[in-house]
Amino acid sequence: MEAAKASAGTVLLVDDDQDMLNLLSKWLQGADFVPLLASSGEDALRLVSSARPDMVVTDLFMEEMDGMTLVTRIHAENPLTPVIMLSGQARIPDAVKATHLGTSAFLTKPIAKEAFLAEINTHIRPRRPEGASAFGRNIIYRSDVMAELLEQAELVARGDVTVFINGETGTGKEVLARAIHDGSRRSGHAFVGVNCGAIPEQLLESELFGHEKGSFTGASNRHDGLFLAADGGTLFLDEIGDMPLGLQVKLLRVLQDFEVRPVGSVKSVPVNVRIISATHNDLESLVEKGEFREDLYYRLNVVPLKMPRRAERAEDIPLLLDHFLAVNATRAGVSRKRFAPDAVAYLAGAAWPGNIRQLINAVELCSTLYTGDIIPLAMAQRALRQQPVQFKTLKDAKAEFERNYLVSVLRISGGNVANAARIAGRNRTEFYKLLNQYDLDAASYREANGGQDDD
Amino acid sequence: MTDRIPVVIDPDLADLVPGFLNNRRRDVEKLRAQLEAGNFADIRMIGHSMKGAGGGYGFDPITDIGAAIERAALAADSATIEQGIAQLADYLSRIDVVTGA
Repeated sequence: MEAAKASAGTVLLVDDDQDMLNLLSKWLQGADFVPLLASSGEDALRLVSSARPDMVVTDLFMEEMDGMTLVTRIHAENPLTPVIMLSGQARIPDAVKATHLGTSAFLTKPIAKEAFLAEINTHIRPRRPEGASAFGRNIIYRSDVMAELLEQAELVARGDVTVFINGETGTGKEVLARAIHDGSRRSGHAFVGVNCGAIPEQLLESELFGHEKGSFTGASNRHDGLFLAADGGTLFLDEIGDMPLGLQVKLLRVLQDFEVRPVGSVKSVPVNVRIISATHNDLESLVEKGEFREDLYYRLNVVPLKMPRRAERAEDIPLLLDHFLAVNATRAGVSRKRFAPDAVAYLAGAAWPGNIRQLINAVELCSTLYTGDIIPLAMAQRALRQQPVQFKTLKDAKAEFERNYLVSVLRISGGNVANAARIAGRNRTEFYKLLNQYDLDAASYREANGGQDDD
Repeated sequence: MTDRIPVVIDPDLADLVPGFLNNRRRDVEKLRAQLEAGNFADIRMIGHSMKGAGGGYGFDPITDIGAAIERAALAADSATIEQGIAQLADYLSRIDVVTGA
């Protein structure tokens, strides 16, 4: 992580004026960037291919290959490489064309050092250097706050201590938990996640610790539970603050004894899991109110990590916008759209109360509703106005709960629809209708040699 | 017009400034030769370069003179170009570079 932050990034400068190259190169070096210099478009293309710079800054007017041609050729092979265009003329048609070709910014010379470096800092996406740690390689960031968090998380991953992640909904707590698992010696085993707030107490107990056949109505098969499913690996307990008090004491016992006792069993089974728990709640205040056990709190909160809110990661927003635009384009099988520079600036400064979910929704809305290549500021503003806060509607929240409930019931009944329907208090016809409604297939929950439906 | 003109430059650019100024002195000669040859395209390019880099190095008048030469070259205005060349030569002969703190 340190190595990744040592250089602010590599910037390829392209200009056929050596004095200009020298000047910009000096400014970049002073700001800890590594400059690469090319005096022609052809030289630049060779360097893009061999040195893979994090960003390109090119002059518009050059004798052999002009900046417009260069940016087109760079993006043909490297669509995510940001390019800034410099021009001696503030001509609107040039700026419009450059924007349509996907340049991140169109700047007019002469330019002041501070303004130049501000644009570089806004648009660059440093790539991890060769040999740098691969920890958190799937996490998109360039902000210091995330770099510091991942630095701590990488240290934590090397050990085997219990980790507690606090952060608002949609800040990426599970993504971080998975990165810690992937970076740990447990990475060859399972990472199992469960949302403790989405499952009723009785089902959660069986879901976590397993149950014996016949231990309760509808338990027609033995069920191992998630602790055993995660044996050797990591169990991620999301929304731990919503875990009922009755279960908290059972969880505490597992953490103390490293054994689980399935519901209806007299025997405990040893387990070897690392626990990563997370919540959006202030767990300390829940402890004060008596809603969360203090002893469990201290058992879980060995290493606390705090996820920053999306608004605290303004520098990461342009990267995230780029990423989700690319994801949408791939999914829809269409060419990738871009946000206009003023739209990026607007979105980077937004509050994002709904965190990543709101950002993804805004990008999807813009990608879907705007038919051009460059999404303008007005469309970005409209997208945010239409999603002021990403609270789920009551209907969506109920649907999410119902689906999670059905999944739990299917797991516990080993995919046996008759038993699952009995647990849910529905007849089989109604239960099948519910499964269809949520696109759930009972067969995929049947374990080998058990759980066959008794149709 | 013999007063000296002190110019305070960014200390980070101290090693680059002598080369930059030498290139501008060469520009004076190039501009004179191109004007004599009536080569306005090359004059425009030189003016364009001066305009782009001058202010960045701390020499705003070079940017202004370069812009005027570029505009005049587009209009094939020899008199204004000649005036710009004279201003550039005069400015270069009178500056005293002072490295800032």
